[in-house]
Amino acid sequence: MANSVADNKRAVTNNLSTIYGRVPTIGTDKMRVTFCTDMDKSVIVYNFEKRGWTQVGPEDDWNFYWAVTQSCRTIFSVETGYRMSDNQTINHFPNHYELTRKDLLVKNIKRYRKDLEREGSLLAERGDGPGKYLHLDFIPVTFVLPADYNMFVEEYRKSPQSTWIMKPCGKSQGAGIFLINKLSKLKRWSREARNPFNPNLTKESYVISRYIDNPLLIGGKKFDLRLYVLITSFRPLKAYLFKLGFCRFCTVKYDTSIQELDNMYVHLTNVSVQKHGDEYNSLHGGKMSVQNLRLYLESTRGKSVTEKLFANISWCIVHSLKAVAPVMANDRHCFECYGYDIIIDNKLKPWLIEVNASPSLTSTTVNDRILKYKLIDNIISVVVPPDGVPDVRWNKCPSPEAMGNFELLLDEELAAQDERDNPTGKFRNQSNKWK
Amino acid sequence: MESTKEIELQKTANKLTDDIQSMTNYKNLYNEIQRLVASRAVRKEDFKNTLVDALKSNGLETELRNTVFHWARTQGPLQREPEPLMPMLEADLSYLKRAQIQWERRIQKSLNSMCNELNVPLARIRFNMDKDELAEKWDELSTYDIDLSQYRPLYAPKDFLEVLFMVRDPSFKKQPGEPNWEFSHIQIRVKTLSQLRAMYPELSHGVPLLGVNPHMTAMGNYLNLEAERTALGERVLASNHAPIAQEFLKRGAPRAIRGKLWSLVLGSIVKDNDEEYYEELKSLVLQYDIMVDKLIIKDVQLTASNDDQYFVFEDVLYKTMLCFSRDSEVLAPVTTDRSAGGQVIHAVLQGKPATLENTLVFPPSGVIPFHGFTMYATPFCYLYDNPCTMYYTFRAFYLRYWFRLHTVSSHEQGIVALCLLFERLLQCHEPQLWAHFRNIHIQPIKVVFKWLMRGFSGHLPPEQLLYLWDLILGYDSLEIVALLAVTILSFRKENLMQVNTLHNIEAVLADLSSLKVMPLLQLVLLKE
Repeated sequence: MANSVADNKRAVTNNLSTIYGRVPTIGTDKMRVTFCTDMDKSVIVYNFEKRGWTQVGPEDDWNFYWAVTQSCRTIFSVETGYRMSDNQTINHFPNHYELTRKDLLVKNIKRYRKDLEREGSLLAERGDGPGKYLHLDFIPVTFVLPADYNMFVEEYRKSPQSTWIMKPCGKSQGAGIFLINKLSKLKRWSREARNPFNPNLTKESYVISRYIDNPLLIGGKKFDLRLYVLITSFRPLKAYLFKLGFCRFCTVKYDTSIQELDNMYVHLTNVSVQKHGDEYNSLHGGKMSVQNLRLYLESTRGKSVTEKLFANISWCIVHSLKAVAPVMANDRHCFECYGYDIIIDNKLKPWLIEVNASPSLTSTTVNDRILKYKLIDNIISVVVPPDGVPDVRWNKCPSPEAMGNFELLLDEELAAQDERDNPTGKFRNQSNKWK
Repeated sequence: MESTKEIELQKTANKLTDDIQSMTNYKNLYNEIQRLVASRAVRKEDFKNTLVDALKSNGLETELRNTVFHWARTQGPLQREPEPLMPMLEADLSYLKRAQIQWERRIQKSLNSMCNELNVPLARIRFNMDKDELAEKWDELSTYDIDLSQYRPLYAPKDFLEVLFMVRDPSFKKQPGEPNWEFSHIQIRVKTLSQLRAMYPELSHGVPLLGVNPHMTAMGNYLNLEAERTALGERVLASNHAPIAQEFLKRGAPRAIRGKLWSLVLGSIVKDNDEEYYEELKSLVLQYDIMVDKLIIKDVQLTASNDDQYFVFEDVLYKTMLCFSRDSEVLAPVTTDRSAGGQVIHAVLQGKPATLENTLVFPPSGVIPFHGFTMYATPFCYLYDNPCTMYYTFRAFYLRYWFRLHTVSSHEQGIVALCLLFERLLQCHEPQLWAHFRNIHIQPIKVVFKWLMRGFSGHLPPEQLLYLWDLILGYDSLEIVALLAVTILSFRKENLMQVNTLHNIEAVLADLSSLKVMPLLQLVLLKE
């Protein structure tokens, strides 16, 4: 009986949606939740089905769309003219590339620093040397090529000993990356790139960054951190950090000698690179949990330096987000989970390397599968209101239980509220830690 | 009466003086005291008093006390036996010793047959090329490329369990209908739950412990319990008293000072002569090529290298385990212990005449590794960055506790006693589970044996494991390991009751990553 009523409702919604191309708002208590995904990943589908949601196609009326960035772009493009209803949510912001393209991230951070400086903010305090900031130097010195070539050369000449890393702006997973330690090598590359037989290369822009050549090593090996950061709103900023991040280790001992400069198994931590190496172990996949890293650091280096490191990691995540917040299209239907790549140097200073809009959901090991399953589960429970149906009118303040393994990095709305309630700042809670 | 006591005391004092002279840090200590005596702090006219004062004020008295503490630990049993209410006749447990001797012979036999099969000698002088390669790759032994495909671990925990199942008290008559797999007929005295409650008062009285809730409110002006414990722990370290450090561990150690506390309790703080000795061990590895090396490397590869918690420490583990095999200071404690079988192999270097100088104890440590042996060392990688520091604490831990977990003995801390303790506790306090296991014809010990034999290493996440080992050190006993095994079964009882094959039972118990050791143990010891 109950079923047939629901089915009738369903039929009605289907009809309406074919007419208007969107899901009408109906009594949420009876609403059946639908999802859509164009990623063939069992962790995603399994998590939705566990909630009793029904899979539909992208043309049908969906409530929750886990999309690849391309489909997302189509939905938001003017030509498509798709209008989302209040009960629809999607996993990317329309212009996420402001954060996730290597060149734009750098551009936005540079602009953010200048803006703060203009405001006379203490955060923008200068360090030693031109272009150096005391607190906001969480990304390695970076230039966009070919545009900033002259600026790069100027910087290069200051310390010709250092190594630089070249990355194509639009590629991921370590593709097209190489290290250079001589200007001549860069010149040679640019000549070859302009080769008429290889016209594609000329169009591509690159970023060149000072290579962090003193990474923290454990067991003699280099690693980076993969952290997951969930954003449910950019203005006000609402950001959550997933506690179950992991370290990705290189399979080969770290070695800065010139002979090894081209050996990417030494330098790049990307699993997509490392898994082709002879030393790759498919049982652990070169991954160690951040919790274990913390245990190791606290035990061997002490508690206060370890706490400072992790506080600095949060700091650099928060400021990278603040840097892009003004330019982000803050669509209320959107949320996004970013994959942050961070390298820690041997002075325990974290460096933001890059941000990924579609962090890999492929599981390389059993633990990886468990982790990614929890990640998706926790994301859904943070972004969906307590009644279980996506709704943009919700205030996006999940309960502590709903946060699962996420911890609040910053909620500007809550922080502002706190400030109103406790103007003296005596009883500030977590939410305004980074203000 | 008085005089016998005095004579006893005199005897102990004499033994102590003799033994201290042969301890490794004697020379250091003696030099320090000589220096002190020559200093102005000690006056000839009031020699005794000024010397004692000077010893106190510069910390040497504490050093001496710690030395006596560590000496006393090597002498006595791990804990004093509680006096039995009824003086019962000590059971004849010599059959356990015989079982151990047989077991040792069996291991040696399979070692020899593996050598024959692979056509390799037990020991030889390492070829120069090999020696150079090994020396060059010493810090990166994961790249030391040798073919080990033919090598297999000599035995695994399940093989050792089979050996334990075969142990029979010759005087015991089986009652009809009684299953023949219980350890209950072995007459080692093990504690009851209420005796354990008395033994672990900090846990059974609900005293605030680290590892339960770090944000728990603290005494005094500290932010939380962790801050309080850290401040107290720093003071314990500053006092440098080993027994106080041991006492401190009973409530769990803060991460940042755990390594130092453990070294203090075990007397494994590295001194100059220890570093020299460690270098010597390395040179012995380079000099001799012994068959056990391959087994060690194979074991690291099979265990730590595949483990997401330990793979990053692979290289330091190779070093540690190889040095351990050459450590003749391990030999005496493990072979002369009352629980040892005392069977030692002597190997003549290949191609040399069988003279005394060409003969070595094989392996020099007397310990033949088995599958998972490396796991006794892995957790220390989280505590110490320096391989030498790690080595000595691992070694001290092994000599105090771990070697009893792979030998058949009547020792109250040995694996047989732990199995028995596990069985008794399960039977008494989880009769329903016990009956369930019996109905489905599965020995409960079978599903927990690997936990017991490895002290849970590799089965619990490192952080939880370190808390468990805090308790082992703090109470100087392995009984907590058996108790934890029972507690886990009890905790997962509902799920266990629903399955009836070994495979499914193992599946229920496979993932221990969500367990919190301290609250679990507190819960089981608290209630009554």
